Amino acid sequence: MTQHRAALRLRLASSSSRHSSSTRPVTLFLPSSSSSSSPSSPLHLSAKRIIDYVLLGITGKDFVLMAASKAAMRGPTILKAEDDKTRQLNKHNLMIYSGEAGDTVQFAEYINANISLYSMRNDSELRPEAVANFVRSELARSLRSRNAYSVNLLLGGVDPISEKPHLYWMDYLASLAPVPYAAHGYAQYYCLSTLDKHHHPDITLEQGLKLLTMCTDELKRRLPIDYKGVLVKVVTKDGVKVLDFDNDRIVKSA
Amino acid sequence: MSSPFDINGGACVAMVGKDCVAIACDLRLGMQALTVSNNFPKLFNFGPSTFLGLTGLATDVSTVSDLFRYKVNMYRLREERNIAPQTLANLVSSSLYEKRFGPFFVSPVVAGVNYTTGKPFICGFDSIGCIDFAKDFIVSGTASEQLFGTCEGLWEPDMSPDDLFETISQALLSAVDRDALSGWGAQVYIIEKDKVTKRLLKGRQD
Amino acid sequence: MADRYSFSLTTFSPSGKLVQIEYALNAVNSGVTALGIKATNGIVLATEKKSSSPLIDPPSLSKISLITPDIGMVYAGMGPDYRVLVDKARKVSHTGYKRIYNEYPPTRILVQDVARVVQEATQSGGVRPYGVSLLIAGWDEGVEPDSGDVQQIDEDGEPKKATGKTGGIMKGGPSLYQVDPSGSYYPWKATAIGKHATSAKTFLEKRYTEGLELEDAIHIALLTLKETIEGEMNGDTIEIGIVGPPADHLLGYEGVECSQGPRFRKLTKEEIEDYLTNL
Repeated sequence: MTQHRAALRLRLASSSSRHSSSTRPVTLFLPSSSSSSSPSSPLHLSAKRIIDYVLLGITGKDFVLMAASKAAMRGPTILKAEDDKTRQLNKHNLMIYSGEAGDTVQFAEYINANISLYSMRNDSELRPEAVANFVRSELARSLRSRNAYSVNLLLGGVDPISEKPHLYWMDYLASLAPVPYAAHGYAQYYCLSTLDKHHHPDITLEQGLKLLTMCTDELKRRLPIDYKGVLVKVVTKDGVKVLDFDNDRIVKSA
Repeated sequence: MSSPFDINGGACVAMVGKDCVAIACDLRLGMQALTVSNNFPKLFNFGPSTFLGLTGLATDVSTVSDLFRYKVNMYRLREERNIAPQTLANLVSSSLYEKRFGPFFVSPVVAGVNYTTGKPFICGFDSIGCIDFAKDFIVSGTASEQLFGTCEGLWEPDMSPDDLFETISQALLSAVDRDALSGWGAQVYIIEKDKVTKRLLKGRQD
Repeated sequence: MADRYSFSLTTFSPSGKLVQIEYALNAVNSGVTALGIKATNGIVLATEKKSSSPLIDPPSLSKISLITPDIGMVYAGMGPDYRVLVDKARKVSHTGYKRIYNEYPPTRILVQDVARVVQEATQSGGVRPYGVSLLIAGWDEGVEPDSGDVQQIDEDGEPKKATGKTGGIMKGGPSLYQVDPSGSYYPWKATAIGKHATSAKTFLEKRYTEGLELEDAIHIALLTLKETIEGEMNGDTIEIGIVGPPADHLLGYEGVECSQGPRFRKLTKEEIEDYLTNL
């Protein structure tokens, strides 16, 4: 899947392909119309076909743990069981994403290319906060264009100077919030309460992984679909690493 | 499909006291009924004693606050002075009306003390920039109905900064406790002619 | 392809000069003299209304223009170019300011906006520089709070009303600027532009004193004009604009609180002749 995308043209900030095209205003709610009479989506507020994959992020003392489910789905069908929904943007920043099939990879590559371009031009890296705000501004710009990206994201990073971990939650409307732990999709409903109870800002990686296991166990127990396990990566001051994660644990149902 | 103003939730209120004003907001960011963050401030500073509060769609809260940060910084560079609350209010109004047929889904509130006259100033707006000047208080957000009630009941003229803090805090906390979409802590700024006090309220975390 | 030939006419000479701008200055320096004097409580702009023929109807000729209620300007150089700039100045004071902030621009901001228009004509394709220099006079209310009434007692023991406002956005008060065809602008206490600018400036240097009041400034303006004027001096041949106290009688209504008349106004023929008889 990813290889096909690679053949598509990379859209750098300077390329004029998408954003400079016709600037016809999108159909929006007028302030008076509070009812939902209009069937056409106002400001793309209803994501078209956002597929709920599992996205999880947990910060600890000196790391950000990120997990994304490995299933690629189309309707009820699993197309791929080893899908990678993560992107390393620079040495200390990792983005995980889910959403409408084409948009996710397109948007991720666009962001990836521009963050890389910044690193190349300036011989320095954008800090996590800067990365988050750049991604937000791009997604917010797309939101008011004719065809917006429907992508939900988590951005994890470690500031190379302060060595402090940062995690940002962002939805397809480009609402951005810094959070200690986050989830997207159905995982939110199953995992956030677990994290509320057990998370502390100064946990070690080991404790973080234990927390993550508690979350994935709960997903296995409650989520009616098989998301084919999660791909787990960790961001520390030394960069991004893939972690071995036991996805084959048997969880007894409640 | 609910109104874009009610997706993320949030509340904001501003009040006038004697030679001072106060502005306060809650800290919740949600997606419908699910709370995503309890650390999403909706108040933004645009000068030594000038604040803008933004409630509504979270993405537009960020976009609009970024836009005014840019506009007010340009104003400050060009004119070598800080923007007055009244001037900011007119800038907000004209900027929002510019997007009349594709508006930002926000309900802004401006609060400040005018440096030249020393007089307190508050006003609110609808999402397309119609200004609502008020001598007493301005409310906005998903808890605006509740806020109207609490403010109407608690506000009185010529309050001291301390009384004003007590009043606005009680008004906000009581209002958001009756609104499922706002709450989870609050921020309060008490603005006097040459002093601004920021206070964080814990509030109910449920 | 048409834009191939719309390169800027103002191009550098090998010595680094922009001769087109120098030619524009020549046009200014052969224009009718105009002058401006800043006082503590106002500004005067004055110029000669020169008509090439006795058949011209003098009242229809106007060289001093109102831009905003508190800002006005006068020129030396090419009349048609000036009219274009007056139009643009009035327009930009609304599109670039009043329609955004619901208040009129401070003098310096307006001067910068006009100067930008003038500068762009020195660098754009297919246009020539403006053949005028401008004197722009305006009053700013000021941002700093009034620190009580500053009462000064002058020599006669009479209390003199001094505002402590000396011009500028922060302090408020009168400011007088000159804008040249290059787009550069200068703040002045008193200056002159046009044919007899040099001699007028020498005269002003002798006559100008600190703490001048508007009435004295008008007097000095007329004396200076007298030195340079070629024809007769009367209410028809002289034009004067002042920045002074709010002219509430020009509002057209009264009894409305918080509304203030324009500070910039042109003197009537009768007012000018009154000043001339007292000269």
